[in-house]
Amino acid sequence: MSEANKVAKGQREAEEPFYAGQTRILEMIASDAPLPEILTNLVLLMEAQEEGMLCSILVLAVDGIRVRHGAAPSLPEAYVKAVNGAPIGPRNGSCGTAMYLKRPVVVTDVLADPLWADYRHLAEICGLRACWSTPIFSPQGDVLGSFAMYRQEPRGPNAAETHLTQIATHIAGIAIERQRVQETLRERDARINLAAESADLAFWVIYPEQNTAWMSDKGRAIYGFDSKLALNRDLICSRVHPDERAAVHAAFDRACASHGLFESEHRLVLPYGKTRWVIVRGRCLEDEHGNLLELIGVTIDVSAQKQADLQLQLQREEMSHLNRVALMGEMTASVAHELNQPLTAIANNASAARRFLERGNIDPVLLQQLLQDMVADSQRAGEVIRGIRALVQKDKTVVRSVLNLNAVIADTLRLVSSDIVLRESVVITEMDRSLPQVEAVLVQIQQVLLNLIMNALDAVEARPPAERRIIISTRSLNGESAEVSVRDFGTGLPKDRPDKVFDHFFSTKQTGMGMGLTIVRSIVETHGGKIGAENAPDRGARFFFHLPAARGDSKSQAA
Amino acid sequence: MNDADETEAREVCLVDDDASVLRSMQYLLASDGIKVRAFNKPEEFLAHAAARPVNVVVTDIWMDGVTGLEILARMCALSPRPRVIVITARDDLAARATATAIGPVAFFIKPFNDEEFLAAVREALALAKIS
Repeated sequence: MSEANKVAKGQREAEEPFYAGQTRILEMIASDAPLPEILTNLVLLMEAQEEGMLCSILVLAVDGIRVRHGAAPSLPEAYVKAVNGAPIGPRNGSCGTAMYLKRPVVVTDVLADPLWADYRHLAEICGLRACWSTPIFSPQGDVLGSFAMYRQEPRGPNAAETHLTQIATHIAGIAIERQRVQETLRERDARINLAAESADLAFWVIYPEQNTAWMSDKGRAIYGFDSKLALNRDLICSRVHPDERAAVHAAFDRACASHGLFESEHRLVLPYGKTRWVIVRGRCLEDEHGNLLELIGVTIDVSAQKQADLQLQLQREEMSHLNRVALMGEMTASVAHELNQPLTAIANNASAARRFLERGNIDPVLLQQLLQDMVADSQRAGEVIRGIRALVQKDKTVVRSVLNLNAVIADTLRLVSSDIVLRESVVITEMDRSLPQVEAVLVQIQQVLLNLIMNALDAVEARPPAERRIIISTRSLNGESAEVSVRDFGTGLPKDRPDKVFDHFFSTKQTGMGMGLTIVRSIVETHGGKIGAENAPDRGARFFFHLPAARGDSKSQAA
Repeated sequence: MNDADETEAREVCLVDDDASVLRSMQYLLASDGIKVRAFNKPEEFLAHAAARPVNVVVTDIWMDGVTGLEILARMCALSPRPRVIVITARDDLAARATATAIGPVAFFIKPFNDEEFLAAVREALALAKIS
């Protein structure tokens, strides 16, 4: 048998196992076998194709600078160790240079080639003479590693070897890329899980077609489901507070119908009676034909936050209430006057009626008139008391209604009219008749106005009576919001930062708690409005706030 | 003295910006047979006092526009000086001090004793008649 025949026979014999070997390796990739195992099998398969050929695969680290050992089952361990962790570069052996230049590097004699200057002694010890290295690319064209063939005699690759290299780099590329993608996925999963656990997030998936559902362990803990229990949408919704269950079902239905988003904040009631506040967000997933596949989402347990919010709300209400009681204390003159007026009228009318009766000449029409007046004044006194009680009451029923601020200002001024007169001050109003109506809690807006008015009265106190002026004006801001401005002619605000007056415990007054304006700002902001303070150009301060126009009511009915 | 002056000598001018209080005072004085001229606006009373003699004034202190103290001050400038009875919702020391500095004035805090008030008005009317 000639030399040529031998080679030909060897190729034929090798061909069947070579294809079978490729298939086996691709199967290993598909079944997610460990990467070193796949690469080692690939190298062994390649080495088996050619007598005296040694192969190695290096993997480029994610940093793109250093190489990592991939597979080199037939190379001496000392050589493998020396190469592992070496940097790539323009003169770094065949592999380091191939990865650096992103093209095959053929070194026919490592003892002579300058690329091998740093590795020559190593090659000599290991008996390696030729090394041809080809970069392994990802589908995106990034370098993933290199595949190298070594010979113990100095020469270049023949056609068969070049062909083998193409196959090897292709398969190695698939294996390394797949491993990278899966590593990325695993990392992302781990990160999501970590984030989910630390954020008290629960994952769930509802399959509407199959009427089943899946929920993460955290989710089962939040909803109080046993880890074995088979779930479905109805079961999940059965945990929702009865008052909110219908709304949650409706939101699910809407999301499913529109293949859209789901968002809801509601309470859960667990079997042993514990209540949780949760925020639930989800979205629908469709298959390639646009059919609804599943509804995936997260549930966040916000009970602790809610509890803190409620606490804060209670504290705010408490402060607000104290502020109103304090205001009432400042308004004693008005309160006394408002009550004394009707009481005086009643006493006078009763005395008059008694006298007329004693004299025996009472006209029944006159008596009727006296009694009618007494009834009217009693009602007026009752109104005053009701008004005071409403102001001093705790915010139990904070119901918003559509208000005309011009009217609210007029009513509020009536409440403090005696104090204004007693302090020898004058309040001038400039009302914009086209002011849009607002949606607000009446008592709270009165509280805002009373704070601003009482502050303005304090601010002008030191001025001579003729200058104790306060101007309250309103104006429409493009019909989108209503602005109220309270301007005094007092000493003005701190020059550097007029808005400092809204800070907690800031007070220039001897008796002030420094809470009034903080509460005022919080009320305005709760109503979606804004408040500000500035020094007026000539003298004094100007406070202004605006509230958004009530929906569907951008134009006011004239007050 | 002519007839018109005779009439006005027995008349009490009542000034209060609160309509229902004003009317109840009118009834109270009328129940004792006292003739009353009521003013809901202090400015209107001042205009009236500038044109005709006034003998007795019953006025509130804290009113919109012109205060009772201003009315007292204006009364001092009139001759003969009218008798003034002040009725206020609030025992305000400043108001009391100012009022008594101007002259002998009866001072009532709302709500007040009807007998005492009517006695004060009758006394003021009697004094106005003599002078």
